[in-house]
Amino acid sequence: MRAYAEGLVLTAISLVALWGAWQVPGATPGDTWAGIVPFSASLALLALSGLMILGASQQTAMGEDKTDHTATFEIIGLFLIALVYQQSFRWFGYLLPTAVVAPIVLYTFGVRSWIGLALSVVICPLVFHVIFFELLGVFPPFGEVFDLLDWIRG
Amino acid sequence: MEIFPAMLSVITDPTLLFAIVLAAAVGMIVGATPGLTASAAIAMLLPITFYMPPLFALAFLYVIGKSGRYGGSIAAILFNTPGTAASAATQIDGYPLARAGKAGKAMKVATISSVIGDLMGDILLVVGVGFIAAIALKLGPPETFAIYFAAFVVIGSVIGNSITKGLASALLGILIAMIGLDPISSEERYTFGSFDLSNGIGLVPLMIGVFVLGEVFAQMESRHKATGDVEENESEGDGNALTWEEYKPCLPHALRGGFIGAGIGVLPGLGSAIAAFISYGEGKRRAKNPEKWGKGALEGVAAPESANNAVSGPSMAPLLTLGIPGSTIGAILLGVFLIHGIQVGPTLFLTDKELVYQLFASGMLGIVAYGIIGYFGATQVAKLILKIPTNVLYPLIFLTAFVASYSARGSMFDVTVMTVAGFGGWLMRKYDFNIAACVISFVLAKGAEETFRQSLLMSDGGALIFIERPVALGFLLLGVIAIALRVRGIMKERKLAQGGLGDA
Repeated sequence: MRAYAEGLVLTAISLVALWGAWQVPGATPGDTWAGIVPFSASLALLALSGLMILGASQQTAMGEDKTDHTATFEIIGLFLIALVYQQSFRWFGYLLPTAVVAPIVLYTFGVRSWIGLALSVVICPLVFHVIFFELLGVFPPFGEVFDLLDWIRG
Repeated sequence: MEIFPAMLSVITDPTLLFAIVLAAAVGMIVGATPGLTASAAIAMLLPITFYMPPLFALAFLYVIGKSGRYGGSIAAILFNTPGTAASAATQIDGYPLARAGKAGKAMKVATISSVIGDLMGDILLVVGVGFIAAIALKLGPPETFAIYFAAFVVIGSVIGNSITKGLASALLGILIAMIGLDPISSEERYTFGSFDLSNGIGLVPLMIGVFVLGEVFAQMESRHKATGDVEENESEGDGNALTWEEYKPCLPHALRGGFIGAGIGVLPGLGSAIAAFISYGEGKRRAKNPEKWGKGALEGVAAPESANNAVSGPSMAPLLTLGIPGSTIGAILLGVFLIHGIQVGPTLFLTDKELVYQLFASGMLGIVAYGIIGYFGATQVAKLILKIPTNVLYPLIFLTAFVASYSARGSMFDVTVMTVAGFGGWLMRKYDFNIAACVISFVLAKGAEETFRQSLLMSDGGALIFIERPVALGFLLLGVIAIALRVRGIMKERKLAQGGLGDA
C-alpha cells in the first residue's frame, strides 16, 4: 500500500512538472527551448513513478507497517507551528513571534520547567536578536501589524 | 609547491588560525553528538560566513566538515551510536573495545588513523588537483555535460537502498533547480505567476531546511523510538594509554584506508561511509587476526577511520575543478564560493589559485588541530556531549534555522522555502528517498543544463554530439555501467537473502 502511495504521489508531481514545462514558451530561431530540461526531467520522473507502481503491484503483501502516528502528528504540529512562526515575522517582526514560539517548542520537546519556559520568552529573542541583528548587522524583518522592536525603541 | 607559501600565509594569520582551531572543536562536538551532522552545522553557520572574508568563511566551514567526520568516531566508540553514517564501521570494533575498558585506547587509535588518512587525502589532493584542473580546461560542453550526467546517475543510484528512489530524488532536485527564470532566454519556468518564485529557490534556505529543520523533525520522531539514556564507557587502568607497539599493527591498515578513502573521495556521491566499510572489509580480509575483528581489534578501528577521513580532501577535487560537489558538505561549500562571487571550475586555478591553496593549507592545519584536541581531549568532549540537554538543544536549533535562513538575503520568502524544505526533507527521509542526491542534483542542475544546451547549439540541435565525442561517450557509458552494476549488486543481495530464507 505504501509503495503504491509513493508511486502515485511521484506520478502526480511528475504530471504537474510536465504541465509546468509545457507552459514554457517555444524557443526563438537559433536558440534551444527553455523547457527542454524540465520537460525531460519530468518525463524521466514519470517513467520512474511508473516503475515504482509496477514494482508495488508485484510485491506480495508483507503485512501492514506499524507506524507511530503519535510522532507523525507531533511533527505535523511542529510544522504548522513553523509555518505560523515564519508568517508571523511579516505581521509582528522577529521579537514577538520568537518570544511566543520559543516556550512552545521547548514544551513540545519535553521541557517542563516553568522557570525555564518563562526565561526562554526573554532570553531566546534577546540572544538571537543580538547575534544576528546587532552583531552581524542583518536588517530585522519589519512587522506590518505591530513591531515590538519599534515599540521598544520608541 | 604553491602549498608552502600558502601554509606560511595561513600560519602567520592569528585570526585565521584561531578560526581553524575553533572550527576543529565545533566540528568535533557536532560530529560526536548523535543526530547532529557536520552538514547541519555548516548549513546553519553558512549565513554567518556571509560577513567574513572568503578564505576565512571557506576555511571555517571546511575544517568543521573535516573535524565533524572525525567527531563521529567519538560517539561510535563511546556511546555505541555513530555520530555520522561514516563512523558506523568504526563502531563494529570501537564499541567492544570501550566495553572492555579500552575506550581511551580506541579513541587514540581513531584519532591517529583519522589524522593519517585525512593528511594522505589532502596531500594527494594538493598533488593531483592542478593536473585534473588542466585536463578539465580542455573539456568542451559535451564532455562536461557527460560528466554531469555520470555524476547524476552515480549519485542517484549508488547511495541509498533503492535505485528508483535515488534517481527520483536526483530528478526532484533538478526540477526544484529549474524554478525561476531560464538563465539563457529569461523565460519563466514553474513560477506560476509568483514574483518570489521567479528569483528561483536559494541554495542556503534549501540546505538549512533539509539539513537543519529536517533534522529537528527527525529528532522529534526519534524521541518516540528512544529506548534509554546514552552512557559513556569509561577507560579502566591502562585502557587510556596507547603504546607504539600497540599502534604498529594498525599502521598498514591506516595507510591502506587512506588510499581507499582518497580513491573513493574523487568519485562524486560515494562518500565516506562507503569508503569506511570497504576499508574495514579489505582490512579484515588481509588481517593476521581476522577472528578478532568485530570483537574489539584496534586495527578494526584504524582501517575505517583512516578511510572515512581520507575522503574529505579528494572530494574537493571534482568540486573545485569541475564544479561538481561529491558530497553534501561539498555542495554547501560550493554555495559559499558562489556567495562570495568566486566561480568554481577549471578557471578557478587561474583566477583564485592562491585562495585555493590557502584553503588546502587551512584544511591541513585543521587536521592537526582536531588531532591534538582529539588525542588529549576526546573523552572530555564526550563528557560535554552527555551534558547537553537534547530537549533544549533541538528547540534552539529550530529557532536558529529561521533566523539563519532570513539572514542569508534578508528575504522572508527564503524563510518560507526553508520551512517547506524542512518538512519535505523529513518526508523524504521517512520514505527512504535520498536527500543527498536531491541536494547535490539541485546544485548540479544549472551547470548541467547550460552545458547540455550549449552542446545542442554546437550541433544544431542534434544529440549525436554526445556519442560522436569519445570522452563524452565514455562518461555517458560510465553512468549506464554504474546503474547496471548497482542493479546486479541488488539482484545478488536479493538472491542471497532468498537463499538464506530458504535455508531457514
